[in-house]
Amino acid sequence: MLPLALSLVAAAAAVLAGRRRPGAAAPMALGGLALAFAAAVARLFLAREDLELPWAGSWDLQFVLLDDGLARLYVLLASGIGFLVAVYARGYLPHHLREQRRPRRHAPAFWALLALFAAAMAGLASAGDLVLLFFFFDLTAVCSYFLIGYDRQEPRARAAALLALLVTGIAAVLLLVAAVVAQSVCGTTRIADLAADPPEGAAAHAIAGLIAVAAIAKSAQVPLHFWLPRAMVAPTPVSAYLHSAAMVAAGVFLLQRTHPLIAASPAVAQALLWVGGASLLVGGTVALTRDALKQVLAYSTIAQYGYVLVLLGAGTPLALAAAAFHVPAHALGKCALFLVAGVVTRRTGADRLSETGGLGRAMPATAVAAAVAAGTIAGLPPTVGFFKDELLFEGLSDRNGASWVVAAGAALSVAYAARLWWGVFGGRQVVAARRPAPRSMTGPVLLLAALALGLGLWPGPLAGLAADAAGSERWRVTPGYHFDLRRSNVLALLAFALGAAVIAAKRLWLPPLRRFLRALRGLSPTHGYRTGLEGLNRLSDAMHGLEVRDLRDRLAAVLVPTGLLVLLGVWAGGAGRGYELRGLGAGDVPLAVVLALAALTGLAAATSRTHQALAILLALSGFLLAVAFALLGAPDVALVSVLVGTVTTLVVLAVLRLFPREVLRAARRTGHRRRDLAVGALATATALLLSWRVLSDDDGSTVATRYVELAPTAHTDDVVTAILADFRGLDTLGEATVVLVAMLGVAMLLTRPAGGPRGRRSAGAGRPPSARSTLLTKAAAAALLPLTLVVAAAILVKSHAEPGDGFAAGTVALTGVALCVLAVGHEPVRQRWWLRAAPQIGCGGLALMICVAFAPLLQGEPFLSHAPAAGGDTAHLGRLSLHTALLFDLGIAAAVYGFGVALIDRLAAVPEAP
Amino acid sequence: MNLLLACAVAALFGAGTFLMIQRDLLAVALGTTMIGNSAILFTLAAGRTRGAAPIHPLPEGEVVADPLVQALALTALVINFAVSALLLVLIWRVHRTHQTVDLEELADEEVLEETRDEREEERI
Repeated sequence: MLPLALSLVAAAAAVLAGRRRPGAAAPMALGGLALAFAAAVARLFLAREDLELPWAGSWDLQFVLLDDGLARLYVLLASGIGFLVAVYARGYLPHHLREQRRPRRHAPAFWALLALFAAAMAGLASAGDLVLLFFFFDLTAVCSYFLIGYDRQEPRARAAALLALLVTGIAAVLLLVAAVVAQSVCGTTRIADLAADPPEGAAAHAIAGLIAVAAIAKSAQVPLHFWLPRAMVAPTPVSAYLHSAAMVAAGVFLLQRTHPLIAASPAVAQALLWVGGASLLVGGTVALTRDALKQVLAYSTIAQYGYVLVLLGAGTPLALAAAAFHVPAHALGKCALFLVAGVVTRRTGADRLSETGGLGRAMPATAVAAAVAAGTIAGLPPTVGFFKDELLFEGLSDRNGASWVVAAGAALSVAYAARLWWGVFGGRQVVAARRPAPRSMTGPVLLLAALALGLGLWPGPLAGLAADAAGSERWRVTPGYHFDLRRSNVLALLAFALGAAVIAAKRLWLPPLRRFLRALRGLSPTHGYRTGLEGLNRLSDAMHGLEVRDLRDRLAAVLVPTGLLVLLGVWAGGAGRGYELRGLGAGDVPLAVVLALAALTGLAAATSRTHQALAILLALSGFLLAVAFALLGAPDVALVSVLVGTVTTLVVLAVLRLFPREVLRAARRTGHRRRDLAVGALATATALLLSWRVLSDDDGSTVATRYVELAPTAHTDDVVTAILADFRGLDTLGEATVVLVAMLGVAMLLTRPAGGPRGRRSAGAGRPPSARSTLLTKAAAAALLPLTLVVAAAILVKSHAEPGDGFAAGTVALTGVALCVLAVGHEPVRQRWWLRAAPQIGCGGLALMICVAFAPLLQGEPFLSHAPAAGGDTAHLGRLSLHTALLFDLGIAAAVYGFGVALIDRLAAVPEAP
Repeated sequence: MNLLLACAVAALFGAGTFLMIQRDLLAVALGTTMIGNSAILFTLAAGRTRGAAPIHPLPEGEVVADPLVQALALTALVINFAVSALLLVLIWRVHRTHQTVDLEELADEEVLEETRDEREEERI
């Protein structure tokens, strides 16, 4: 756990330190990774200690971090290689940023992501639960996305990063699906429990298959290998880390961790064998034909992890141990080779085999180190690579077919490793090594080569780690040099000879092979991926085209399915019962008349000729509805409805004023009148069915009676006010926030200059705001404004005993201001405080509401509880009782007033259209 | 009575929908407002009880109107107003940039712009 925590801290520290000074990020990440590595080493000597924390209890999920041999091996690998790569990057990155013409402040992101990557790997290695495994598995995909696409100004880097994310990310989801299947079949996602009691039958095949596909994609195995070579656009340290200890290793790690689940399905194990065999042959062959250094290495990685897949598919204890030995041995060699490629490019500027050659004399130390690393990949003694091949052959001793395939693959790896080394360091010198490489870049290379050589001479420690990782207690891996003709030695010798022959006969096969591979390009998975992506793009373009064409299509796309669903619900909810007809008493006649008038006015508004008529009829319908509300026993709603209706109408007319007349006239052209009428009729019928059905329901039980009883304890006689300010105050707070956001939008739209192709008329064009009212209206308005403010205050204060509340108070004041602006014009009152300070008043009101809502938390009371508490005594000011709900109401009033007046202010400031 | 309320709700909703599918963007905005009105009426009508205003002291022996739906309706009213204002101003901006509030003209212009952008991209 400590390496995980330290790497996470390193990532956070790199971000924080880098924000101040970009140069400070590197030491933070380096220090953190060094500590993580030290912790990982120290843990090897401590007793095993698993960590288990409660996580998602309702799903029976635990946060399990294991400390077994496998976890130790991979944590060691991730933090050790991570540290060395970071040391290398210290020398690499500044130069890289200079070359890419990027500022130094882009460096901290790299360091933080590298440390986060190491943390993700450490977490993955320790995770003891399938869901947790998925989490870290996906985290490595996300980190790799950003690191591969680190040179974000390059389209190729972005495309490669997206490709890697899509392939490994989609595959990672399969792992989650496997976890869900395991949970539903076996009742647990904990790996230890699943291993003890593996699933059977179809579930076993499903789980094993899903995990295997996720791992194959991550480890870049055929046919999901194509993302890896393209990911080579990443900075060199990232490539080195991806290939040796992080991203690609995560795939085979997944298989090792869940091996009991894989073993439960022999078919999947067999498939792994085939996939691994295909990968090692394809990867080895293609590596022979590539020219770019990093491409050769990428295909080599595909081939090398193919071996591991073959071993895991074989599944014997010896094979598992051989797999656990193979991964770190390969990591040492592959990481060193990538770093060498970076050093060579740095010193010569060349990154292709055809551009390099004969560098052995110019950089002897690097050449020797590269030879050791290449020998490790090729499996030559006396490097650690020899034992990885020896164990490979021994692990497959009972499978003849696989042995021959693996021997062929070993021959290929000898050939491409020799070709790579000779192409760079051997032969005639074709390019000068002029530029120097810092020691921080060559140091890690030499260290890795020394490790590969040292473990080649004394393989004991690594063998011990591998045996622990494979989890076999009674069986030990005992690699050593045996000078006899045992099977593994014969196969190795055969591979060396074959490899040498392949290299010697290079001229014979290289051109035809290249031609052959080029001919196959149309069939490659890359091609399929590109076609698929293009197809998706076209589909999205087509959808976009459809959408852009017409707003009505979009409305229909929402309204029609909604209507159908509603009708389906009504039908399923019992079509037969529930449509009741309630009696129409004599007292209901006024209500019936008003409702009929409101409905008719609404219909008339819909068919009106001009916008002005539409606005007036809409307002009239609103006022009639307000009367209906009053008759329904809702005086508060009626009051606010009248006020809001007035202000809405004023706003509509004020906005209409901004449009030239011809535009308005042109807009009322009617297109498909018959179709629109039909749609309207359909909507009416649906709404009628639904609302009749709902309004027929009557089971009498409602929370409202409780609210009515409780209102006096909240020191409020008006139950509606009590609900708004106290019982359901959160709704009100949310509503005020919505209003704030809408008003912010309005303010922005009204003040920012118009962009667009043909917009931007000079300010002041058109008529100035009209002030054509008579002296009398001006005087009346001036007298009205203070009066409305008084009325508003009265409504607010008395709201808790009589109809009216914060909304009503705010809107009354708002109406006063609107009338005043209408009467005297905007210019004369522009500087008055009640207009100028409107945004501040609105925000202050919202802030007051939030304060009243959160203040009780400080005293340990629940959110939005008011003081004094229910039933308590309140202070009185005359007949007015004082309590915090009143403050909340004041906030509502201020918010409504402020935002509304701000809107009117902005609208009035816009010059009228001609 | 309930059928009558349902009829009023339905008529307003239908009128609003009719306005919303016009070519005229301003009608779309006002149609939204009308549908909002219909929703508020529906909310109030859905109250479990109908009767006197729910203000203490309560009238003896009379049914009190459901206060909960009234609170909901009040909230909806103010939000309806804010959204209508936002829509109207948005349409005004559309007019400033495109000189039209006709949906079909707007769509044509958008397609034109898109092809122009694509041509420019290709040139780059």
